[in-house]
Parts: sequence; structure tokens; C-alpha cells
Amino acid sequence: MAPLDPRTKLAFGLLGIFTILITQRPLSLLLEACILLCTLSVNRSAKPLAHALKLTIPMVVLVFAIGLISFDIHVALLLSMRLFNLLTASFVFFRSMRSEEMGDGLRKLGLPYAFTFILTTAMRYVPLMGQKIRLIMDAQRSRGMDMRPRIGNVKNFLALLVPLLVQSFVLAEHLALAMESRGFQMKNRTFRRKYRMLFREYVLLIVSLALFVAFVWWERG
Amino acid sequence: MIQLENVHYHYQSTPETGALEGINLSIRRDEYILICGGSGSGKTTLGYLFNGLIPHFLDGVLLGVVSFGGVDTRKIPVTDFLRKVGMVLQNTDAQLFNSTVESEIAFGLESLGLTTGDINQRIQWIADTLNIQNLLDRHPTALSGGEKCMVAIAAVLCLDPPMMVLDEPFAHLDWESAGRLREALRDIQRAGKTLVVIEQRIGKLIEDVTRCIILEQGKLLFDGSPEEARPILMKEHLIPCYPALKKSGPRISPPLVSARELCYETNHRQILNAVSFDIRDAETLAILGRNGAGKTTLIKHINGLLHPTAGNIRLMGQKPDARVPAQTASLAGISFQNPNDQFFKTKVRDELQVGLKILGKNVMEGFEDMCSLFGLQDLLDRSPHRLSEGQKKRLALASVAIMHPRLLILDEPTAGQDGRFLEATAHFLASLKALGFTIVMVTHDFEFAAATAERWILLEKGKVIADGPPEELLKDGDLIACFDEGPGHAMPAC
Repeated sequence: MAPLDPRTKLAFGLLGIFTILITQRPLSLLLEACILLCTLSVNRSAKPLAHALKLTIPMVVLVFAIGLISFDIHVALLLSMRLFNLLTASFVFFRSMRSEEMGDGLRKLGLPYAFTFILTTAMRYVPLMGQKIRLIMDAQRSRGMDMRPRIGNVKNFLALLVPLLVQSFVLAEHLALAMESRGFQMKNRTFRRKYRMLFREYVLLIVSLALFVAFVWWERG
Repeated sequence: MIQLENVHYHYQSTPETGALEGINLSIRRDEYILICGGSGSGKTTLGYLFNGLIPHFLDGVLLGVVSFGGVDTRKIPVTDFLRKVGMVLQNTDAQLFNSTVESEIAFGLESLGLTTGDINQRIQWIADTLNIQNLLDRHPTALSGGEKCMVAIAAVLCLDPPMMVLDEPFAHLDWESAGRLREALRDIQRAGKTLVVIEQRIGKLIEDVTRCIILEQGKLLFDGSPEEARPILMKEHLIPCYPALKKSGPRISPPLVSARELCYETNHRQILNAVSFDIRDAETLAILGRNGAGKTTLIKHINGLLHPTAGNIRLMGQKPDARVPAQTASLAGISFQNPNDQFFKTKVRDELQVGLKILGKNVMEGFEDMCSLFGLQDLLDRSPHRLSEGQKKRLALASVAIMHPRLLILDEPTAGQDGRFLEATAHFLASLKALGFTIVMVTHDFEFAAATAERWILLEKGKVIADGPPEELLKDGDLIACFDEGPGHAMPAC
């Protein structure tokens, strides 16, 4: 089966996020979570998600705790489950779509090339920034700085932030030079990847939209 | 092809010092030119003049005339340079800004507005020519240094410019990748391209080129044949000339570090495989190997940044992470490859004293001595970020050494540095050795290791393949072969 057009993927992503945002009943949220986890096992990203959960679970727990203290168990459950679903949905969305595809999709929807280029390039540099953070942490720990995540060490994180910022500015300048010397500003750019929304994608979108409206009606009713 | 007439240039940020002063030269078709000079001599600025980044993109004042094919570059629109001069920048992280190798190569072709069919054809052609077909789907962060360099060249060469400028392409390559790159460059030149390589690692590269240009503080010091250039490069210490190593013989004291059957695995890849060794007091040890052999991973085990997946390592009898970070750093300090990863203070003085403050020592303890040893006295009130690359490296080294660790570990101290810095570093290491430091360095620069270390450990694919004094290891024919590849530095001759 041919891969979906990036516009279709974007539309699905948005519909998914809106669905989670308007859901009011914990049972529906649970159902959504189940669907999301099924999707994960289908596109084989369960393992990377487990890795990402290390960061998201503490956030979800924190939201649950705040909900419980400020409101009641019902609100706490609702908020934390919604957050979990939102994070997982974004994860599925970004896993199913390469950054270039997203850029192409947004450009096809009418956004200017310079903007979509910034977006895709920013995503290209996420892993590099991750690497840089690890290198800086190692360099600072090697001269005795305590970088373990503890309250008392908060001020030491300046030693991470400053080198990271300085190096990012230098990288930005070099990046501008590199882009310039490869003709970023030339007017007649070719866009190699041609996209065409297929008939089945339109049908799929109409059906999903109908389902979405029905769901909204049911949730509100 | 390119003509420079009485060219002066200075950057907007440093109007008092000219980056280039009174340069006259012309570059003819089919030449293969090596531009060398110490750090800050204006080499890169000269490169920017060739491909129009100066005056079209960088702010600064340009006097004199730079012409391409008889036309003043000021009058050539910046976009026209794409077909005339290809430039490979030094910073490959910036050079490779697309998310796959294929889209990286395609970017310039897309800028030119070629048809999709033509673009795909050229991608295939360049991938075949440079033998990088297997990399096309990869993300740039997943590439090795040598691969990044090849991809950067491919992305420029596919545009078929008559001239190419490469800024320090050899800086971070090991001898094997450097050998491969030299071969690729020779082929490119034979195919009729004019090549300009800006480089500090001169070694054997000088044998390939047809002409050599030496810059010194923005002025043209020499322009002529490589044979005539060599003695001048030696005289100017741009080809390093190391002092003879003072030997102190084998050590019998109890080991500072002892590793037994050390293994490390990440993402199902075995990085270290049953590595065993001891490091004794006052030794000077060089850990040598190709990029990706596991050298840096190994030293990260010594101070507990990484934990072995099997086997064990002891630092002065204890697990390296058994102590608090400050205590560990006072025993084993590592100065990593990129000095910019360390600096977060606004003055050199404060940066140097960070370690002393962490240890709770008097901030003046050993301060003057370290400053004079590393030649930092005149820089104390400057910002670390505004120093030259060589000065930054010296400061990074000093800021670790000032804590007086029993073990001083240096990760690739020579990468991307000029001959003068290499000589100076060899002197620092000799002085530190005399002060009683135990020194471990990680490098792929055999000549530097020969000039500074009494013992070598050779690492290949995570395994120790040799351990002993260099003079014994060098009797091994396979090892000697390593010297013959790539533009390593000249063997110590003084």
C-alpha cells in the first residue's frame, strides 16, 4: 500500500489531538489510550516509547498529584490521562512521519518554504543537541562539577547552559554560511517529492471527520 | 581563474587587526593548492573570498579586487557562485543540515532548479563516484567523521563546479579515513577540478599538491612549489618538530587504575571487549586507535562517567563512581576534545579557578605556576570564548591540571591544531611529567604519541591489540604500515 500523503497524516494528527482535548469521560480516555498503544505495537515503536516514557511518566504523575490536591480524584484522573494520551499521540505522530515529510506537507498547505525549512532543520538538529548536552555534562563532571539532578546542584546547570548556548550561536552562524553557499536563496528551487492525495485518502478523511463530529456530539450529549 | 590584487580584509568585530593584508595571488585552472598557516593566519577568510561569502554574506571591509574569470566578485550575484566555486566548511555539523545524506546531496541541485530526473541521476552518479551508496538513507549524526567529510564533498561536487575549496577536511580524521580522503581528492583533481585545500595537518598531503601557499598573520609568507615550501614550514614550526622524549623506564608502584576484562555494550554494539590494563604512578601512556575504536569510551570508565557492562575497573582501589564527583576529579581529571564544552565563566581567571573552588582549596594555590606553564598570564581578564582555538585548548587543559589530579587524561589533544600548538603541547606534557603527573592521552596521531608517551596501548574494535613501549611495538610490520597512510605529521626530526 502506498504511504499516506503528508497532508493526510497532518490532518489525522490534528484530529487525534482535538479528539483527546475534547474528551470528558475517563472511560473514553482509557479507550483512546488502548487505541494508541495498539497503534504503537503496529508501527513497532513500543520500545522507543518505553524510553520516552521515562521522561513523561514523572510529568503525568506530577499532574495527577496536583489535580488530587487541588480538586478531586475524578479531575486528577482526567487530567493525567489526558496528558498521557496527548504525549503518546504526539509520539505516534512524530514517529510516523519524517521531518521532511512534515515540511513538505505544511508547504503544500501553503506555508512559505523558508518557514517549513526552519522547522525541518530544527528537527534535524535535535539529536545533535542531545549529543552536545551529554558531551558538556561529561566535560563538567570530569572536572568535579556535581551534575546529578538534585536541588543543591541547580546552580551548576549554568555550566551546562552557557556552553550549550554559546555553541548553538556559533552553529547557527556556520549553518547560515553553509546554507548560503549551497544556494538557499535561489528562486527556482525544485521540489523533488511530488505528492498527490489519492481518492481513498479523501474517503478516509471524510469518514474520520464524520466519526469525529459524531464523537463530539456523543461526548457533549 | 581567480585573481586577488592587493586584497585587504578585516571583520566588523575586529577592525583593529586585519584578517588579510595586501594579498596578491592568482589561481589557475587544474591547480591543486594547499593553503597553510598557523591558527588565526587568515586561511579560512581567504577561502571565503574565493566563493563569494566575502563580500556578499560576511560583514567586513574589503579593499582591493578579487576577480573570478576577469569579473569583480562584488559584481557577481552570490547565487552564481554555486556553479563556480564549491565550498566545504570546516564544521561538518553545520555543513550537513539535511536529515538524510540523500537530501543533503540533493539540496544544492534543488537550488539550481534541475528536474527531478536529473537530480536523482546526479545523486546516483556522485554516490557511485565517491563510493557512498550505502550512506544515502542515513541521518548525518549517524555518520563517522570520515563519512561526514565524504558526504559534504559529495554535496558540493555533484553541482559540478570547476573549483572546490575545502576548509580543514583532515582535522578530525584518523590515518585511515585521511588516506581515503587524500585518494578521493587526487581523483577529483585528475578529473579536471581546481582544488584548494586549507589545512594545518600538512604531513603527506604536501606530496599530492602542485602548489603551496603559506599565510602568516594575514600576510602572504610564501607562494610556490611544495618542495620549496617544506623547509619554510619546518622553520615556521607549522610542521612540528618535537624534542626527544626523556625516558624514565618502567614503573613498579601499585597501579592507580586497574581494569580487568572490561566490556561495554550500548545499543547492541560491543564498544569495549575484555580490556585489561594497569596504569601506574608517573607513567605517560598513549591510547591509540582509529576513530570509533573505543578510545574515548575507555577513558570515560576511568572516572566513572560510564559503567562497564561486564568486568571491572578500579581507581586507586575503589570503583570510580564510589566517590563524590569532586573527589574523583581530584584523582582523575579528563580534558575532552572540544574545549568549548567546558567554558561557562566570563573570564579566563574564573574559568581556571572553578576546579579549585569545587575542591574547597585556596583559589591561588598553584594558580601562578599553571598560568606560567600554559602561557596564560596575559589572557586572565579575557573571555574564554574570544580566545583563539589554540589558546582555548591550553586553557581547557590548564583548568583540569590546576586541580592536580593524580591522573591527567587528555582526549585528542592534537585534533584540529597547528604544528606550533603540537610542539607547545609536547613541552607542557614534559613539564607536567616532571611535576609528577601521570598522563594518559587518547590520540590517533602516532607522531605526537611517539614524542610524548613512553607506553602505548593500541585499541582496535574495542580490543587491546598491543600494549608496551613504542620502540617494541614499532618492530611489528603491521603497525609500521599505519604510518604510511594519511597525512600524519612528519616524524620527530629534532
